[in-house]
Amino acid sequence: MTAPFLKRLWQAFANTRVGRSVFRVGLPQSRLEQAQAMVSSFLLHMQPAKVSRHSLRASYSLGLGLISLYLFFILVGTGILLMFYYVPSTQKAYDLMKDLQFVVSAGLVIRNMHRWAAHLMVTFVLLHMCRVFYTGAYKRPREFNWVLGVGLFLLTLGLSFTGYLLPWDQLAFWAITVGTNIAGYAPVVGPKLKYLLLGGNVVGQEALIRFYALHVIVLPGIAGLMIAIHLWRVRKDGGLSRPDETGDIVQEIPLGQLPTNKSYGLMELARGTTPQVGLNPDDEVLAWPHLIFRELLLFLATVAVVLFLAVFWNAPLEELANAIHPPNPAKAPWYFLGLQELVSYSALWGGVVVPGALVTALVLLPYLDRGRRGVGRWFARERVVANTLFTVCLLVAIVLTVIGTFFRGPNWGWVAPWKQPPAITEGH
Amino acid sequence: MNHATSENNHVSRRGFVQLSLGWMAATFASAAAAAAAVRFLVPNVLFEPSQRFKAGKPEDFADNSVTFLDDERVFIVRQGNTFRCVSAICTHLGCTVNRSNQGFNCPCHGSVFDEQGAVKSGPAPRALSWFLVTLSKDNRLLVDKGQQVAADKYLVLTV
Repeated sequence: MTAPFLKRLWQAFANTRVGRSVFRVGLPQSRLEQAQAMVSSFLLHMQPAKVSRHSLRASYSLGLGLISLYLFFILVGTGILLMFYYVPSTQKAYDLMKDLQFVVSAGLVIRNMHRWAAHLMVTFVLLHMCRVFYTGAYKRPREFNWVLGVGLFLLTLGLSFTGYLLPWDQLAFWAITVGTNIAGYAPVVGPKLKYLLLGGNVVGQEALIRFYALHVIVLPGIAGLMIAIHLWRVRKDGGLSRPDETGDIVQEIPLGQLPTNKSYGLMELARGTTPQVGLNPDDEVLAWPHLIFRELLLFLATVAVVLFLAVFWNAPLEELANAIHPPNPAKAPWYFLGLQELVSYSALWGGVVVPGALVTALVLLPYLDRGRRGVGRWFARERVVANTLFTVCLLVAIVLTVIGTFFRGPNWGWVAPWKQPPAITEGH
Repeated sequence: MNHATSENNHVSRRGFVQLSLGWMAATFASAAAAAAAVRFLVPNVLFEPSQRFKAGKPEDFADNSVTFLDDERVFIVRQGNTFRCVSAICTHLGCTVNRSNQGFNCPCHGSVFDEQGAVKSGPAPRALSWFLVTLSKDNRLLVDKGQQVAADKYLVLTV
């Protein structure tokens, strides 16, 4: 049976002189060459040549990290397109949102995709963090990759926050007001930080352009770099965590054994570690097609879901920013409503101390929880204490978010969501 | 870096001086660059509205009234021939408070203030600010948002 036409065409091209100059090697003829081809291509070398069957199981990783990555890609793509129209001007920004909605071809769908992908990215980064916790995957040698992950979670929130300020609607204006005031409660540097973020004392043009620069270059630049390191570390730390990892799957070479008369410089600081490939050869399959096919399929599914949401539901846009009156109640997007509920008790405790303590705890976690058991399985019995603590924190966050979303009405007073909200009788 | 360290990993005098000078220069240059970048972001000139403004003639405000001035985000409080001015900016996180029957309510996080601006409930850490009110030469109320005064400091007009 001959290969399909497209495949034959591809093979013919790959084996020409030009084809070889592009791909460096010809088509692989054996398993060995297939593995070598992975290493010699720029795009493919980011993938391992072989991958454990356990890591391919959808029920283990749920693909949450990959989905987060794909959402980041979608956000960069749609974000670049939006930059061709958007102007960070308090006079123009809101009108341009309306233009995107009603005038620009596909503008509505592209803005919708950007917003829904952002909401989904917050969700999936959070779920990814839960997966890594409940499978104990942050343990040695992956401690630092967990720290990078915490940083990426914060960057995701920062990108979302700076993003929804840009339309300069009511949500944007009062979010900047409240957000920078929370920053003002930070100890020692608070007021200076607020002044720096706003570029002055009032929320206006200077503040908008600052958050724009943060949103389109500073934060995505840092996030892109950290994502690259995060993925690189997944490989260097031996792939996804597995239950059959016996002891250190990485082979450690003590620093002293490296030849020190060579000018390795900083590289000497890196641990001399390599993932032990072939530890259990029967349990490994070639990355192409087993891994890469699944990755491409997941990418397609992610794009499809975002596109589906964007076609059928429009991204929110509140009224034009009114610098005099906030809406009543003035609510943040869902992922900040737990925080808003917290600051409604105390700005210092809810906005600075509790979030600061939580982030510190998350960063220190892999260095405090050093038990080596129960890695690579969901909800391992050996990790029942850690899992319970994490679940309690998660539940508190969810309860706070639900309260902020459904049980708070005008003047942030209690309301029953199943009743008609009381009419607002007061005014000026 | 071969010449900086001898074979036994002992740092020679020359190597020590070179290394420390090099690291000092690198640290100083990085610190200076970081400081300049941060300082660059702190504006030297602000194009913001003046803190002092004229609120209108005293007789524009009805007796026993609390009037909200949109552009300035303050309330002018008149009782008889006394005038005061209270900030409408919540001391919690900067939202604009609304007038209620017993004082002021903040819509964002639920702070409640009484008629004197004092916190009755909610997360606000301080009372609402009261500003100095004087009378200008052309008989207008002159408010200075840069000067805070006690809640019981009035401008008394003797007509």
